[in-house]
Amino acid sequence: MGAVSRPARPPQSGSEDDDLVRRIRAGDRGAVDDLYLRFRRPAFALARRILADDALAEDVLQDVFLSVWRDPGAYDRARGSFASWLLAVVHHKAVDAVRREESQRRRTALAQEDMELSAPVAARDVDEEAWSRVVAEQVRSALGALSAPQREALTLAYYGGYTQREVAALTDTPLGTVKTRMLAGMRRMKEALGGATAGGALDAAIEGPAR
Amino acid sequence: MSRDRMPTEHDRFDELAVGWALHALEPEDEAVFTRHLPGCERCARTVLETSDVMAAMAADLPAAEPSEELRRRLAAAVGETEQVHPPERRIAPAPLHAAPTDDGLRAPTLPSPRQPRWRRTLPMSLVAAAVAAILGLGVWNVVLAQSQQNLQSTVAEQSQVMNALLSPGQAAIAPLSDNGRTVATVVAHSRRVDVVTNGLAVNDAASSTYVLWGMQGNTPVALGTFDVAQPRMDLRTVGSGQTGLDHYSTFGISIEPGRQAPVKPTKMVALGEVTS
Repeated sequence: MGAVSRPARPPQSGSEDDDLVRRIRAGDRGAVDDLYLRFRRPAFALARRILADDALAEDVLQDVFLSVWRDPGAYDRARGSFASWLLAVVHHKAVDAVRREESQRRRTALAQEDMELSAPVAARDVDEEAWSRVVAEQVRSALGALSAPQREALTLAYYGGYTQREVAALTDTPLGTVKTRMLAGMRRMKEALGGATAGGALDAAIEGPAR
Repeated sequence: MSRDRMPTEHDRFDELAVGWALHALEPEDEAVFTRHLPGCERCARTVLETSDVMAAMAADLPAAEPSEELRRRLAAAVGETEQVHPPERRIAPAPLHAAPTDDGLRAPTLPSPRQPRWRRTLPMSLVAAAVAAILGLGVWNVVLAQSQQNLQSTVAEQSQVMNALLSPGQAAIAPLSDNGRTVATVVAHSRRVDVVTNGLAVNDAASSTYVLWGMQGNTPVALGTFDVAQPRMDLRTVGSGQTGLDHYSTFGISIEPGRQAPVKPTKMVALGEVTS
């Protein structure tokens, strides 16, 4: 493809999030809409990946953004970037929903898919912007830096919403080993991502204020 | 476990921290970790790092766009929903140590003068965490005892305890420990204090009493007396008739001869700060 259409977003986009949170805390309802426009895509992508159901994923999103409006103080800056926090909330609620909604049979069927998806994917349809391709590439190569069992444990828990014990059963591995793999995998991911974690990687999927 | 070094006692918590951030812990592990996390900077950091890695993983998903309808639904719901607090009174709970950050969201969160730093409306998540911690202890003890009957009666007791603790309003929570082991949890409301004991020695109610103290600086103030009738988890309410009980930042428990609270505690058996 041709020239990269725009430069990498400066790493300061966290301050845009802080501004939005400040406005929400000040009781500005419009700020929720801005926040929604900014995060809807990564939030939706994550929720539907976990739930495998667009309608349920939208319910989770509404629940998450409404809860941010209702109690913006639930986010504590000392606990890291807003983007990471918000997606952790999306993850948490989506996992709760999947545990509520999904029959065991369907979950088991999906587990197979989860394991296949846990392999680094060469090409996915992430053609939004050159920047997001670059970043997705970083994440993918970081996932590629994990051992296969580490990747499997982390992706089953994160994308699949399985508990550690379920992961142990699905992969026929002792629970203690699963716990150790998740820790080791997370540490290696962090190393491989370097500065590209939330502050950088996620920006790819977040909308700037211009759109 | 690392292959490079000897495993340490904390390794287990490192693993639990990752599982906790991933929302992938089994209930018993969750109870253990929820008890451990407040005050452990290392775990706070691990949780944070895991959240960042998770967020990065979210960037590697097929792009997807929710329906326009969702945006309208959300706006309508926001229009009908009030915030839990007036914005100016908002105080962010910070059980974890704040990382050195720039300015931030702290600026508009100054506590109003009539509201001490530690007194705030109990977020449900925190109540849930506290209850999980308390119940985790109780069930743990019973599971060790391997008695199904005990388990049933304990669960019944626990649901009463939980209902009492979950009564609405503002409260401060302080785990009190004796040599690092949490033996009681204080849930202080304005007019009463619930003390959940768990592991305090049974006292002779004829000749001794436990006293709950609130610390005003270095000066302990007796808030009320109570007895411990069983070493298992139990709920005692003290201090009815007084107000401002949730304004103390530190609580202590002493065991005293006689049935009255002395002016000064003879021997503190547990002490702890408000964490919420």
